[in-house]
Amino acid sequence: MDTSTMSIGASINARGLTKSYGGGEGAFHALGPIDLDIKPGEFVSLIGPSGCGKSTTMLLVAGLEPPSSGSIAIDSQPLTKPITEVGIVFQDHLLLEFRTAMKNVLLQQEIRGLDRAESRKHAEHLFARLGLLGAEDRYPWQLSGGMRQRVSIARALVHEPSMLLMDEPFGALDAISRTQIRHDLEMLWLETRKTVLFITHSIDEAIGLSDRVFVMSRSPGRIVDEIKIDLPRPRPAHLGEYPDFAAYAKRIYSVFEKLGVYKFD
Amino acid sequence: MSEQPAAAAPPPTRAEKLIRAGWLWTILNSVLSVVIFLALWEGLLRLFDVPVWLVPKPSDFLGRFLVDYREILSNALATSVTLAAGFGLGVVIAVPLALLMVSIGALERGLYPVIVFLNIMPKTVIGPILIIWFGVSPLVSVLVVFLMCFFPVLVDSMHGFRIADPRLNYLTRSMGATPWQAFRYVRLPASMSYIFAGMRIGIVKAVEGVIIAEFIGSSAGLGFMIMRASSFMNMELLFCGLVAVAIVALLFNILLGTSERIMMPWIRPR
Repeated sequence: MDTSTMSIGASINARGLTKSYGGGEGAFHALGPIDLDIKPGEFVSLIGPSGCGKSTTMLLVAGLEPPSSGSIAIDSQPLTKPITEVGIVFQDHLLLEFRTAMKNVLLQQEIRGLDRAESRKHAEHLFARLGLLGAEDRYPWQLSGGMRQRVSIARALVHEPSMLLMDEPFGALDAISRTQIRHDLEMLWLETRKTVLFITHSIDEAIGLSDRVFVMSRSPGRIVDEIKIDLPRPRPAHLGEYPDFAAYAKRIYSVFEKLGVYKFD
Repeated sequence: MSEQPAAAAPPPTRAEKLIRAGWLWTILNSVLSVVIFLALWEGLLRLFDVPVWLVPKPSDFLGRFLVDYREILSNALATSVTLAAGFGLGVVIAVPLALLMVSIGALERGLYPVIVFLNIMPKTVIGPILIIWFGVSPLVSVLVVFLMCFFPVLVDSMHGFRIADPRLNYLTRSMGATPWQAFRYVRLPASMSYIFAGMRIGIVKAVEGVIIAEFIGSSAGLGFMIMRASSFMNMELLFCGLVAVAIVALLFNILLGTSERIMMPWIRPR
């Protein structure tokens, strides 16, 4: 690949971010206040119980929903409208059922008006890297859940964005596919070093992929712990190989226990 | 540098094969059931010796298709043109209006009650009013057809536009899509199956509408021909008209089904 077209990861800085839905007495306080500081090229996970505002955080960072208060800066530029220098992977793939796998990926090229041949070449590279060869002309209903999510990752990367936002991307997959796709994502990330904000409720995924893990409390979500994951990359399928893994996992569990997310007697 | 292979005619895609198979199957199926039906009809009427002026046998009136083919064909053509014009008009207005109403809340709140009322009202009652306005002309039939198919297409299209995953909006906005791009690349194809569902109901209603409109306010078309045959007690021609209406309806359904398969090649074959 031509390195000159490769974008450098973006930085994300958020201050006092909150989100409430509705107004007056019925207002629902969903998130925050939270601060986030993510360095260019860093892989950061947000982990927390369901409904804690993780997905909301992702939408705020993408500029797709306005925060109720607080501010976000991407590469030191205040965020006022949806950022387009981004790839988003949604929960349950969100592929267009009426486009083949390749055409789903090339939607980015069509809408952004990018060079067709170059995008196609890059898409083919991503298909190869993600184990999708042969799936190009299949419609989403002809693909397995894992393959759909891989196509969705290719769609988020084909235009070389500086940041990748992923909202529980592997949540609907079985454990075996999840381990493989986790590794494939890590390898892709090592190649391009985009900034990644990875939303998950899986402790294994958070530790298996991240440089840093932010642990969130229940709704309204706040960041209650920040853990730097100091494990060599690429990380193995069986994370238990590292004694440190157990320590990191234990720390997240104990935070959740303290917050009452887990109640074990 | 390797030479690019010359563009040859591509082998038939799965979708194309499907369309051909669908055609064949539809035709074979209908021919077979029609033959069985006609044979039963002929046999029963011969068995009970029913007179022609009450119910004609297929052998009594099928020959009329050859003798009177000019009259039948020209009326069938007139009906088809009216049907196509009214149906086309209905779809061309209903689909954009559906998108507008779903996109602009005030428009939907203002118009929807009116549309629900008009939808419930039997559309044919408007025929006599249209005759006063426009006289006995094909325009009356076109407008009745339009009204008949407009509402099912509108209601189903609105449903299709509304039901789309709201996250698709996030997706297109993060790509920097213009509203037109979002519609053209995502919203329209995503709602296509709902629009076609509306059109399938619409075409059935439209055929009903065109015949009734031609009964009351037209000087051409199969409805007009049937009405005239009825007043002359011309049972044979009347039954020819009946069969011709069925054939026109069938052709329009096949046409719609085929365009559906061509425009939506992604639909999972059943």
